[in-house]
Amino acid sequence: MSEPTTTAAAADTTATDGTVVVDAVSKHYTVGEEVTALDKVSLTLEEGSYTAIMGPSGSGKSTLLNLIGGLDTPSAGTVTVAGEDVSTAGEDERAAIRGTTIGFVFQTFNLMPRLSAIENVALPLVFDGWSKADRQERAIELLADVGLADRTEHVPSELSGGQRQRVAIARALAPDPALILADEPTGNVDTETGSAILDIFDELHARGNTLLLVTHERHVAERADRIIHVEDGEIHSIESLTGEA
Amino acid sequence: MDGREAISIAVRSVRAHKLRSALTVIGIVIGIASVVTFATFGASVQAEIVGDIGDSNAGNIYVFGTPAEDEGFDRVFQPVFTASDVSALGQIEGVNAVIPRGVLQISSVQAGNQTLARQQITTTTPESITPDSVVSGTTFTSGNDEVVVNERMASAFSENLTAGSTLTIVRSDGTAQPVTVTGVINGTRGELPISDFARQPRIYAPIDPFHESIVESPSAGVRQRAFPQVTVVTDPREITAAKTAISDYLRTDSDARQLSATDTELVARSGSDFVDEISDVIQQITRFVTGIGVISLVVGAIGIANVMLVSVTERTREIGIMKAVGARNRDVMGIFVIEAALLGTLGSLLGVPLGLLVGVLAADYAAVTFALAVDWIVLAVIVGILVGILAGLYPAWRAARIDPIDALRHE
Repeated sequence: MSEPTTTAAAADTTATDGTVVVDAVSKHYTVGEEVTALDKVSLTLEEGSYTAIMGPSGSGKSTLLNLIGGLDTPSAGTVTVAGEDVSTAGEDERAAIRGTTIGFVFQTFNLMPRLSAIENVALPLVFDGWSKADRQERAIELLADVGLADRTEHVPSELSGGQRQRVAIARALAPDPALILADEPTGNVDTETGSAILDIFDELHARGNTLLLVTHERHVAERADRIIHVEDGEIHSIESLTGEA
Repeated sequence: MDGREAISIAVRSVRAHKLRSALTVIGIVIGIASVVTFATFGASVQAEIVGDIGDSNAGNIYVFGTPAEDEGFDRVFQPVFTASDVSALGQIEGVNAVIPRGVLQISSVQAGNQTLARQQITTTTPESITPDSVVSGTTFTSGNDEVVVNERMASAFSENLTAGSTLTIVRSDGTAQPVTVTGVINGTRGELPISDFARQPRIYAPIDPFHESIVESPSAGVRQRAFPQVTVVTDPREITAAKTAISDYLRTDSDARQLSATDTELVARSGSDFVDEISDVIQQITRFVTGIGVISLVVGAIGIANVMLVSVTERTREIGIMKAVGARNRDVMGIFVIEAALLGTLGSLLGVPLGLLVGVLAADYAAVTFALAVDWIVLAVIVGILVGILAGLYPAWRAARIDPIDALRHE
């Protein structure tokens, strides 16, 4: 059982040039008693790779995603994204990394309800200090890329679930991030829309973006190059899918 | 992030909750409005008094009695200043003229077929009527049965009084005396600077032969005319010295001192003393109202803080989103502080015009010319904004500390 984990970890830690390097990362919470959400997990995401993380709820897959995304800090171990050490960075630094190096796509879209599509897409650029004109231009371009050129002025409540998720993807792409993190991106849309969203991810992958996607649906995970199975805070197995191609 | 974007986000949030925002800023509006109202009203009253005293009256010293230990405007108008006092005051260095003023009790005045009930006419000297205050005709001459009237009096009769008109004065005992109106004036020199008097219809008559209050002068030992109020006209450059000398005389050698009740203080006041005196009263009122304003502002600040805390809770998820896409703690803090400052500004911007409006109405009611107190208005706006910022600091700090993971999970 633990065999693939060990080999994968050993192989990964040696690879220092990966976009994401997770090295012996543990995360403990104290909720009454101490809970270990992740236990010495190591993995590497190469630039341009498309990885899916699968696992039952409570397995630690979301924790892993939060740590890589700089939303959380590990109890032990290091996380490096595009050469920046996320695990030891201060709050402001992590905010900057989240805003410029990482693009998040959430299950529940997480769009700002009072901002239009264009403003939502431009939001990361606001905090990154872009000028208004540059933000506008970039946001319009990205919305056109995800097929929403005619929806730029709509607020989220005027958009369908699929459209909202496409706005969220455009937002994730706005700072041209080194890594795109997606947490159950198809979880809140119907199958057809979900499939269209996954097509966008495929296209992003084809364009050389690094993608990490968390899902519990096998058919979603199968779009990736490899599937990392997480269970009880450990990497249970890594399944490579590239061979099929 | 740039400030404009933060402001735009704050504006949107305030707009999204119009009613809530409006109710929140009411405290600030009331606070700012009450301060502005009284600042402008006070400034108006003050400007009016300063205007009344004016340059031409800069050398005037008003001599009258006041109850001892009284800080207010109570006056004792008893005929205590004798003719001896008047001439003694005239000898003081720097004094150009001494204008005694008294009243003659009457019951009515008649012109043509019309009778108007009047309580009194003013007796004074011809010097009190300066050429530039004469609208038409001339001043009266001492010893003659002549009067001048002010413009209000002239128009009080259906047939306007003019120079040369005949007026009949009916005294309290019923005796009627015809007098000639020699002129119409728009004010007299030496009038106490309480503006309203000048606007009343008034008749002025020469002391000789009209003044009737007569007492025995303790210093001269003979019966003399006595006056309730005297105005000393000095050279404005020597007013301070003259005032001291007048005060000394009043305290020691004057007939007025001996004729006055022991608890009556005889005072010599310059125009600027009146301004100071009234300013003191206005300041006390302003302080009181400012106190009320401050209480309103504190209540308003609590209101803003409360609504901001609610807003932070409501927008926990939004805060999480902003943090996930790169907002630093200070960016989040800035957004909420700006929103609170916006509420404070809104309160100020509504409070200032409201305060000004009430100030205009109050000035109108008090029959004074409206004057702006720009410094107070600027101060009020700044205070409003500061109150907003202060009230917003704690909620904003709470917002900044929200953990993004928890926030994104927040429903």
